[in-house]
Amino acid sequence: MLEVRSLSASAAGVDVVRSVDLTIGAGEVHVLFGPNGSGKSSLLKAIMGLSPYEVTGGDIRLFGHDVSGHAPDERAALGVGMAFQSPPNLQGVSVRSLADALGADDRLDEALTMLDLPGFDRRQVSVGFSGGEVKRWEVAKLHLQAPRLLLLDEPDSGVDLEHVAAVAVAIDRLVRDPGDGAAPRSALVVSHTGSVIEGLEVDVGHLMVGGRLLHTGDPITLFDHIRTNGYVAPEPATTTS
Amino acid sequence: MSTTPTTPLTDQRTELLREVGYDDGRAGTSLLVDQQIVASESAHPDVEVLPIGQALKTYDWLQDLMFGLIDPDEDEHVQQAAELLNDPVGHFVRVREGAVVTSPIQLFSILESPQGRQFTHNVTVIEAGAQVEMISGAAVPPSVHAGHHISIDECYIREGASCRSVSIERWGANMESHGYARTHLEAGASATTTALQLAPIRHHLANSVTWVERDGRNNDRAVMLAPAGTERVVDSTVHLVGDRAGSESVTRMVSDGGVIVNTATLVGDAPGAHGFVGCDGLKLTDDGHIEAVPALRAVDPTAQLSHEASVGRIAIEKLEYLMATGLDEDAARDLIVQGFVSLELDAVPEAVAELVAETIASAKTGGM
Ligand SMILES: Nc1ncnc2c1ncn2[C@@H]1O[C@H](COP(=O)(O)OP(=O)(O)OP(=O)(O)O)[C@@H](O)[C@H]1O
Ligand SMILES: [Mg+2]
Repeated sequence: MLEVRSLSASAAGVDVVRSVDLTIGAGEVHVLFGPNGSGKSSLLKAIMGLSPYEVTGGDIRLFGHDVSGHAPDERAALGVGMAFQSPPNLQGVSVRSLADALGADDRLDEALTMLDLPGFDRRQVSVGFSGGEVKRWEVAKLHLQAPRLLLLDEPDSGVDLEHVAAVAVAIDRLVRDPGDGAAPRSALVVSHTGSVIEGLEVDVGHLMVGGRLLHTGDPITLFDHIRTNGYVAPEPATTTS
Repeated sequence: MSTTPTTPLTDQRTELLREVGYDDGRAGTSLLVDQQIVASESAHPDVEVLPIGQALKTYDWLQDLMFGLIDPDEDEHVQQAAELLNDPVGHFVRVREGAVVTSPIQLFSILESPQGRQFTHNVTVIEAGAQVEMISGAAVPPSVHAGHHISIDECYIREGASCRSVSIERWGANMESHGYARTHLEAGASATTTALQLAPIRHHLANSVTWVERDGRNNDRAVMLAPAGTERVVDSTVHLVGDRAGSESVTRMVSDGGVIVNTATLVGDAPGAHGFVGCDGLKLTDDGHIEAVPALRAVDPTAQLSHEASVGRIAIEKLEYLMATGLDEDAARDLIVQGFVSLELDAVPEAVAELVAETIASAKTGGM
């Protein structure tokens, strides 16, 4: 589904992703841990093809296609979607009009109900949303897109205790229950908390520090390790870079 | 009450006019085709719609209202219109004191002769305490690309009256239009106007002056689009002449290669006058330009006036956010532009709210 090979990327002349290797197979859920500023969002945005991230080395393959030079919409068309950590405010653009433009008007009510966002169809996208509402909307948005590969950038941060379960359920449904007998979906989830690994069946965990993936392994063991030792690679390191 | 036969409202014309607000069963209708008022009728006992020539013969007080708010020597276009004063063409609308007219009065101009010239001088009087909604629309058949339309509108909104109006213009891409609007809001009167100027036009001048008396309230919204080859010059002034008079003007401009020059001036002459001018521009391409000039003049020291102006491109971050959902760049851009211009359209008369939304939704950039 996703193959990232020796990927390096920079933003505004700063190297933010350094020779990262990452492979996510069909139906796999990976979680990405790392301290603030370690390059997690940069990696996801580089995969999505967003500015100002420039690939300076290596390559990204989505569903077998080398996507270098592909605009974000072309990547989305291949089947990748992203829940943004901090999406922009789209003044005047209603949630409903975006769903319309996506041809997903018929799925909107269900998606908003699942994320407990009643009446949000008339709201302007992200405008005045609370921190937790932003996150829940981003997951609802992925339900409208129904991508095969989900990039979720901190879908749980700022979400209250009651809704964090709803977010996990919604993500789980997106991944495990694609419907119509479609192939299972995959996800790469950035998280600082344990809520994602508690609420979701996660297959693989990664640790990113300083733009590099320092460790890849069992997500629960990794999370426990980070909790006790901080963001340092466990020994023996199964480094991938 | 029908004052002229209605046969001139042919299917062809009504079809054209539906896109700029026409509907059956309105409180009153006026239609100017080229240089002739071909329909003026009222379906409401408190509403009069007459050709201005006929109205001048009926009401001798009307001659004092013609050029009561605008100087015939204002500029060359107004001068040309003034020369036709012995045989003026236009509509006269009067709404009687205290009337509450819930169905809108609709007023249209069509230019049917290619290369034609159209002069119109309209006078509207909303008498004390009356409440009314108005729709005005301008259109050309697809065969007409060039021509010149010059209009003078003088609007008297008497004490405590209120008027909510929307205007939708769809002139030809190669046309010129010069519009002069003068509005006098008496004490406690209110006017809420929304103008949609989205269709291509070679040169469009919209010049307006509004005077607001004690406790009066002016609210105007304008949305304009300038594709390549379109030039819009907007010059509006609101004088807050009475105590506590208020005004709020918001303009949203989108240049897709065309030129928009918008000068909006707010003058606070009286104690407690308060108002706001906002001009926001979105520039989609390297060509063309947007000039936003909001100006404030506080004559009275207690006047509270403020303005805001912004001109910029669509933030790449917003465009890419939408593209990451799978929309192509054009669709993403259209959604943002439509959002930008829809922001201020909450005050349109209900009867045309849907049409306004559709007009905005079809305002595709580039291809319009
Ligand atoms: N557009 C940019 N211009 C300059 N520096 C950038 C840009 N984008 C990211 N960076 C820098 O790159 C580093 C990685 O940022 P990134 O947003 O990827 O971190 P993160 O791991 O997602 O952090 P967090 O946990 O806080 O979300 C940071 O030091 C950040 O300041
Ligand atoms: Mg981040």
